[in-house]
Amino acid sequence: MASKKKWLSLLVSLSVVSALFVGCGDSKTADAPKDELKKEEPAKSEGDKKEEPAAGTPKDGGTLTFGSTSDIVSVNPIYVQDTASGDAEQFLFAKIFDIDRSGKVAVEPWSLAAEPMKISENGLEYTVKLKDNAKWSDGQPITADDAVFTIETVRNPKAGAPGITGFDKVSKVEKVDDHTFKVTLKEVYAPFQYVLAMEIIPKHVLKDVKPEEMQKYVYGTDPAKTVTSGPWKWTEWKQKEYLTFEANPDYWGPKPHIQKVVYKIYADQNTEVQALIKGDIDLANGVPVTQLEVLKSKDNLSVDPTPGPQYEYIGLNHKADNFKDKYVPWSSPKTRQAMAYALNRQGMIDNVLKGIGSVMDAPFLPGSWADPKEAATHYDYNPEKAKQLLAEDGWKPGKDGILEKDGHRFSFELQYNAGNSRREGVATVIQQNLADVGIEVKPKALDFSAWVDQNLNPGKFEAVLIGWSLNNPDPDQESIFGSKFTPPTGQNNVWYNNPELDKLWQQGTSTVDQAKRAEIYKEAAKILSTDLPYIFMYQYGAPTAMSKKIKFAEEDKPEATLAYGYFFHAINWWIDDAK
Amino acid sequence: MTEYLIRRLLQSILVLFLVSVAAFGLMHAAPGGPTQMMISPGLSPETAAIQKHNLGLDKPVPTQYVIWLKNMLKGDMGYTFKNNVPVGDVIWPAVKNTLVLMSFSWVLSLIIAIPWGIYNSTREYGLSDQTANFVTYIGFAMPTFWFGIILQEFFSLKMDWLPLSDMYSMDKQGNVGDLFMHLILPSTVLVLVNLAGYVKYSRSSMLEVLEQDYIRTARAKGVPERKVIFRHALRNALIPIITVLGMDLASLVAGATLTENVFNWPGMGRLFVDMARSREYSVLMAITMITAVAVVLGNLIADILYKLVDPRVQIGRKGGKA
Repeated sequence: MASKKKWLSLLVSLSVVSALFVGCGDSKTADAPKDELKKEEPAKSEGDKKEEPAAGTPKDGGTLTFGSTSDIVSVNPIYVQDTASGDAEQFLFAKIFDIDRSGKVAVEPWSLAAEPMKISENGLEYTVKLKDNAKWSDGQPITADDAVFTIETVRNPKAGAPGITGFDKVSKVEKVDDHTFKVTLKEVYAPFQYVLAMEIIPKHVLKDVKPEEMQKYVYGTDPAKTVTSGPWKWTEWKQKEYLTFEANPDYWGPKPHIQKVVYKIYADQNTEVQALIKGDIDLANGVPVTQLEVLKSKDNLSVDPTPGPQYEYIGLNHKADNFKDKYVPWSSPKTRQAMAYALNRQGMIDNVLKGIGSVMDAPFLPGSWADPKEAATHYDYNPEKAKQLLAEDGWKPGKDGILEKDGHRFSFELQYNAGNSRREGVATVIQQNLADVGIEVKPKALDFSAWVDQNLNPGKFEAVLIGWSLNNPDPDQESIFGSKFTPPTGQNNVWYNNPELDKLWQQGTSTVDQAKRAEIYKEAAKILSTDLPYIFMYQYGAPTAMSKKIKFAEEDKPEATLAYGYFFHAINWWIDDAK
Repeated sequence: MTEYLIRRLLQSILVLFLVSVAAFGLMHAAPGGPTQMMISPGLSPETAAIQKHNLGLDKPVPTQYVIWLKNMLKGDMGYTFKNNVPVGDVIWPAVKNTLVLMSFSWVLSLIIAIPWGIYNSTREYGLSDQTANFVTYIGFAMPTFWFGIILQEFFSLKMDWLPLSDMYSMDKQGNVGDLFMHLILPSTVLVLVNLAGYVKYSRSSMLEVLEQDYIRTARAKGVPERKVIFRHALRNALIPIITVLGMDLASLVAGATLTENVFNWPGMGRLFVDMARSREYSVLMAITMITAVAVVLGNLIADILYKLVDPRVQIGRKGGKA
């Protein structure tokens, strides 16, 4: 008896562990852009929006409760990379410059900057003057010292701050006077203005923390030690449950109307949606498109179906080593174009995305100042044309109906992350569409973390279905498509090499005039849409649903096309419980 | 008895050690790591290396294990990689929350299941027995998350009698009455699931005993049926039930992932999945070890209970009858 039981207990403990491992593989939550690789980059659109509840006079007080499917990591602005921490940051921290509805850098009453940045004639010096009345939540003034300290910390490789990439063109940062600082660049780099739409950290709190200790320091995880600059103060964090923010009574800018903000964490997206219907929460971002109809039918809710600042694509690997037979089936642009013609992208939007999305032909979000519009080559759904192009390119049907060329079968593996229902759905359509023209697709779902580690970062795959989140409204994308940026240096993990395009990216960032830049990106769009390093799919949505008791004036309504646009101008919103 | 306990303790330590080695190895063998989720893809390899070094992830896995073990023995469970929060701050609230939910529903299911099973064993294939069969099928067959959603739809969204999810209302943190209201729906789900097994176990284990010769003898002697059931049969029938309960004890700590997810209960099951996804090794190891300790303890408690229920059981002696 005794000896039998010993083994039993060992076996039971082990099976508990393995069952949980299996469990985590197939559980699902967010198919929102939270699992997107984040990248600082381009474009935004000014889509027409449907009417939002508005009118009435703002009143002070009330609580805004919003739902999230992830907990924060740290709200220390120099380490924020995930959407959850970023959401919290919107309430707690002021930015030097803000982004306006049209995606331009702007000075708002709640921006730390007092006036627009001054850029020197040669485009190398950026001078920023801060408001002289801005204060940290502990009462200390916000000065140029804080800004210089922040930028120096981010630039220090020992600090391991992800924002460092934005500063690699900076040669020096200096304080001009108490409220003015100057950044000097090594070369003209137009996207830098967007880098300055950043939050800063308090020097007086963090000056004694060594850069290599900064990430581990409690600033950003302990509400009591996290001195902030924004309209609300951080009052509580109950891990995996909720965070609370209270209006800062000593806030230096225009006072927010909403007294208290609760950030509630849900393990399951369906529960979050139920909570929204029930009224436990007032706002949820990234609601599953499958639930939209239900939400729209509720009188107390409004839903914004505008696609957000993100797009999806099929990343085609251009490096022969990544294929079993060392042969890249889509080495010729003609074949890639044929694949684009073969895909019914509008059909995917209508059926899988439930209409929340729009077809994209080049990686510049529709409606932004860099939108190439007709300059980009458009591919209709046209299987006949696809077949014709494939035949012209030398592909012939083999015995099993799958195309062959020079003894190679046109068959490839398409990877995406498990648990993302949108990508699961789209991958099936891709498989079907390409099978119709004689191309075999083997969809493969992978665990996100493992996928990033083994395939995406090192650029080892045949094809991937993934998206880019466009957090920075600048259209420069050299670090994605530039030939200098292949792994491990950059994000060109499809190993694309096009010298002509390389040159355009260079021109684009070294030209300050926006109209001229727009022309350059139009050229880039032409090349991208005909040469197709990726097959661009669609701009997609992470629809926001909110309770009608959240009120705002027309100019303060949420802006889906901006990063964190669901909280756009939240400082001016108010809560009216009487509906 | 003392000798037995010491031996069991040593065995348990060995078991826990093996579990920790296996779990640590498996975790590190799984592709991906905490840094993949933290480091922005555009970060230079040098900075990524600095990050790994700062976190101690550049050391060989056996070395990392030894470091982990040393700290664990000192009672230091470590810190999360992502934001350097002490693991205890993450785990203990989750343990507590899970214990509240699981023990509430566990005790409730026992209170219902054992008497019901006993009753059914005396009236085999009666109405009550058929009902239990039906409930058992439902309990085994029904996906828990689906049942949870149905309950939410009706009792919370439609009728508005009970809260939808969470452990407390936002403005009533720590209020016992509020906690009770929040317990009702998730416990209903868990009770139904547990009930299925426990009713079956107690019924069949009673039936087995009731066929024994000594029961027939007792009845023949003219012992009243009530006494036959409770004095003679039940005590013997309890032994297999205790074995099952002992093994289930660990789930009081491990939690119920699906139910916790649907009802947004901030417990261990939810935490484990969350942490597995972000490869928080130190939290995962802590959860594994806590669960393993619970399994070992559950077995030990079961053994001791045998003794209480059945004085003939000679704990720790070879050939002891159980």
